[in-house]
Amino acid sequence: MTPARMLLGSTCLALCAGMANADQASGTLNLAFSKEVETADVYFNTAREGLLLNHAIWDGLLYRNPETGAYEGNLATDWTWIDPTTIEFKLREGVTFHNGEAFTADDVVYTVDYVTNPDNGVKNLANVMWMERAEKIDDHTVRLILKAPFPAAEDFLAGPVAIYPDEYYAEVGPQGMGVAPIGTGPLKVAELDPGKHFVLEANEAYFDGPKGASAIGRIDIRTIPDVNTQIAEFFNGTLDFLWNVPADQAEKLEAMGRYEVVNAPAMRVGYISMDAAGRSGESPLTDKRVRQAIYHAIDRQTILDALVKGSSKVVDSACAPVQTACAQDLPSYEYDPEKAKALLAEAGYADGFTIDFYAYRDRPYAEAMMGFLDAVGIKTNLNYMQYAALREQHRKGEVPMTFLTWGSNSVADASAMTAEFFTGGPQDDARDPEIIDWIQQADSTTDKEKRAGHYKQALTKIVEEAYWVPLFTYNVNYVLGPDIAYTPTDDEIVRFFAFDWK
Amino acid sequence: MTHTPPVPPVREVQPSPRQMMLRRALRHRGLLFGGAVMLVILLIAIFAPLLSQHSPYAQSLMARMKPPVFLGGEATHWLGTDALGRDYWSRLAHGARVSLMIGLFAATISALIGSTLGILAGYFGGRVDMAVTFLINVRLAMPVVLVALAVVALFGGSLTVVVTVLGLLLWDRFAVVLRAATMQVRKLEYVAAAEVLGASLPRILWKDILPNVMNHLIVIFTLEMAHAIILEAALSFLGLGVQPPTPSWGLMISEGKEMLLFEPWLITIPGVALFLLVLSINMLGDGIRDVTAPEGRN
Amino acid sequence: MLLFTLKRFGLAICVALTVSAISFGLLYMAGDPAVAIAGENASSVDIAAITAQYGFDRPLLVQYADWLGGALTGDLGRSWYFDLPVTQIVTDRLGVTVTLGALAISFALILAIPMGVAAAVRPNSLIDRAALFLSVVGQAIPSFWFGLILIVVFSIKLGLVPASGSASWKHFILPTVVLGYYATPAIMRLTRAGMLEVLSADYIRTARAKGLDTRKILFKHALRNAIIPVISLAAVQMGFMLGGSIVVESIFALHGAGYLAWESISRNDLPVMQALILVFSMFYILFTFLADLLNAWMDPRLRVG
Repeated sequence: MTPARMLLGSTCLALCAGMANADQASGTLNLAFSKEVETADVYFNTAREGLLLNHAIWDGLLYRNPETGAYEGNLATDWTWIDPTTIEFKLREGVTFHNGEAFTADDVVYTVDYVTNPDNGVKNLANVMWMERAEKIDDHTVRLILKAPFPAAEDFLAGPVAIYPDEYYAEVGPQGMGVAPIGTGPLKVAELDPGKHFVLEANEAYFDGPKGASAIGRIDIRTIPDVNTQIAEFFNGTLDFLWNVPADQAEKLEAMGRYEVVNAPAMRVGYISMDAAGRSGESPLTDKRVRQAIYHAIDRQTILDALVKGSSKVVDSACAPVQTACAQDLPSYEYDPEKAKALLAEAGYADGFTIDFYAYRDRPYAEAMMGFLDAVGIKTNLNYMQYAALREQHRKGEVPMTFLTWGSNSVADASAMTAEFFTGGPQDDARDPEIIDWIQQADSTTDKEKRAGHYKQALTKIVEEAYWVPLFTYNVNYVLGPDIAYTPTDDEIVRFFAFDWK
Repeated sequence: MTHTPPVPPVREVQPSPRQMMLRRALRHRGLLFGGAVMLVILLIAIFAPLLSQHSPYAQSLMARMKPPVFLGGEATHWLGTDALGRDYWSRLAHGARVSLMIGLFAATISALIGSTLGILAGYFGGRVDMAVTFLINVRLAMPVVLVALAVVALFGGSLTVVVTVLGLLLWDRFAVVLRAATMQVRKLEYVAAAEVLGASLPRILWKDILPNVMNHLIVIFTLEMAHAIILEAALSFLGLGVQPPTPSWGLMISEGKEMLLFEPWLITIPGVALFLLVLSINMLGDGIRDVTAPEGRN
Repeated sequence: MLLFTLKRFGLAICVALTVSAISFGLLYMAGDPAVAIAGENASSVDIAAITAQYGFDRPLLVQYADWLGGALTGDLGRSWYFDLPVTQIVTDRLGVTVTLGALAISFALILAIPMGVAAAVRPNSLIDRAALFLSVVGQAIPSFWFGLILIVVFSIKLGLVPASGSASWKHFILPTVVLGYYATPAIMRLTRAGMLEVLSADYIRTARAKGLDTRKILFKHALRNAIIPVISLAAVQMGFMLGGSIVVESIFALHGAGYLAWESISRNDLPVMQALILVFSMFYILFTFLADLLNAWMDPRLRVG
């Protein structure tokens, strides 16, 4: 290979990657995070990586079986709904935290009281604020009191709500937990360098729960921000597993034939939100016809086929199809630039207009949308910024049009998405009283059919009014090294404890 | 990123006949090469719309990452297409405008600031000199990349913001060099003569000082232009440069980086273009210095 | 010498104060910091509480004085992102960056000085031209591009060195080369210029005329004199490098201060940003101060300045 050929050639460089050797001998599995996690305390970080650590280091009362979607007992062995706002849990006996502290009802009560107390400043309030408090019945029986009927409770209890050790947490607080996490989970923290490096070790004393013990003794997680560097390390065998690999790279890796590439659907949904309520000032988007024109103008299927790929699907719902109560038989707008132009002309924008367009990830998708909008005469100025900054501006109502995504914290219920954005909160661009009312009715009933009906009403109106342009579901590419056995799941959660060597 | 060059010793300025200079220029290989490459890039930038049959913004999602002709691609997109199916040649040609514009405008802003400060300090000396030296020290102590990143992050990455920030950050070399040069020129007899004759200060600075330090100004201008272009590319690479879909070379490198391991030509083509541009500007600068002040070349 | 030192020291302090004020002011233009800290789901009541708690309602000058006072005692506040003391985070990351900077400058000196000397001894020779060519080319290669290419060639294709991280000395080879070659052209040019000047000086000619060993002349007399400005330039370059290691650290996933700075910008973590701008500036000021002293010590004529 001449140097010029090497730099220019599209011949796959991986020909040269002949030295993959996972550290099976040393028993260490090497993984990488692509961003620095601010703290390991799961209640005080909002990163996806934090959720993964949550599942590895801690346990919830329940567990959602990723294959069947059914809820199983985890730290609880049994649970019953006493009334629509009370659940009683029988707790598993003989469980100890990594520091030897015994797990009892006190830990559940302490955790629930701590995280629901607004003074403690938990970051993901939506994950916990549906709980009122917990009551200890005896050492291994506890009752959870809800603020209102909340049908998605089980999913939250199987997901983000981790149970903390009361004595340890009272002593060290979120800062101590952030640097020296203690849970009951299948993996325990052996080393932690904030934001940079995590070393997890199998919890030898793990109870016989639905997650199962970790078959791998040691997991080493480094932070490597650049995807290329991650892939380079993977070729060299110094990383054993990659996830969130972009579609193009995943295709190439698969074509090499050496690695197993698994594509799994994710709960994340991409959408364009438009300032229909006019919070950002006078804009063409307050006109329904303009919003419908935008819906017609964007060829979602082509973006999906060309860029998103994988198991993604075009959606019209403001939630993910896998989520409970997320109706899919909704009206839609087909890709039709002529119709879009006609609608724009009808609304008085025959010559189009110029508008600020915000985005925070997947810049190529955003650019593709801009290309389609440009074709019907809508000029967009892209403001590509960090999520935190965009979110802040959106909440202040200063964003006329934005491409956003939402992963619902992997909670498999429509309320985790539709209710998040259409109930008059700061990120509700529609502010439609009828929709707000339907969702509130839905989320205060335990009648599943009635609930689904209300959600469908809301989702239908969102499409009819074109408050959003729901785009597509996301997918995740997992790439497995030659001697790794792991079955990726469709909830975007990498279960560190479920890895094994081939 | 090199920053403080040694201050070129300013020798007595002897007005050399133009012919001599031209002859030297024609014999200077670096100058010729730099000038030729620069001219080509300039022409491409000016005639970009005529030279490319596709718009740099026109997407074709079904024709993504088509390889260039020399890697087996088709002639309609002779440099291939990018990740959104846009014609790579057209983006490269239009991108030349963006890079040159950033270089020119940023260097102009810093030249205005830096040479004003430098000439004033060199001419007046004393307190003015102390104040300017202090400013230069403060400026040098600020980490350029970090400050530029922070400002662009705060104000958003428009072309104007990037140019302004770079312009405000890169004036130090102008000030340092022109200060030293002016100090030398000021000692010359005709400046003293002009002062005695009662010429106004602006006139002295403009007519007597500036022309005599002009060659230094031009050399530093080229250096800083190259510097600004590289910095913009670095900012774009870190995701905080000009906003897409503007066809900037830095942005093209940053986008091409995604496929570095599989489609390396995507990053090599704009990388080579950037390299050639910066190289030609630097060679041009070196050449001008050699030609205008041959005795200054050590 | 004492007066000179004091003068320079005074200047350094003034520069440091000005830079700190600029960095403090610059980052407060970012908008309401209370909103940034409050983060998601914060109500206006929360924001008011944070404003009071952090004292954002005080006059900017008072806040600056407070911050500066803290900085002098080593307290740079708490990171909004990590909720840890900024001093702890920054000192934790600084080691990697300083190591990288020191390695890079050594690399540059080892490469540039012999090249510069060789070029000066035989002006316009092949060596001279090659050195000049390398320096021109070196200045034109974008570091991020160079870094990625090195990873492709030396890590993936040849498998000689690791691609990222800072676990062993091997991890530092590529980043050192990428960061170091940037300082090479300037150092080389200065060495060459200095050597040419010294070699044409009277005392060298005299020494030559006396028939002293050429090698001895070259190294004992000429290089010693030519090296003064080079050392000074190297110190200054080192200051720049620390501030410029952002790109290199992000490519090679070195968790140093540069990478921390880049991440802090995207996380809107103002206390860390401020601290880093301050720290990098202080390094630069310290190095230039030391360079000045070194110069003055080796060349008494400069002490007047």
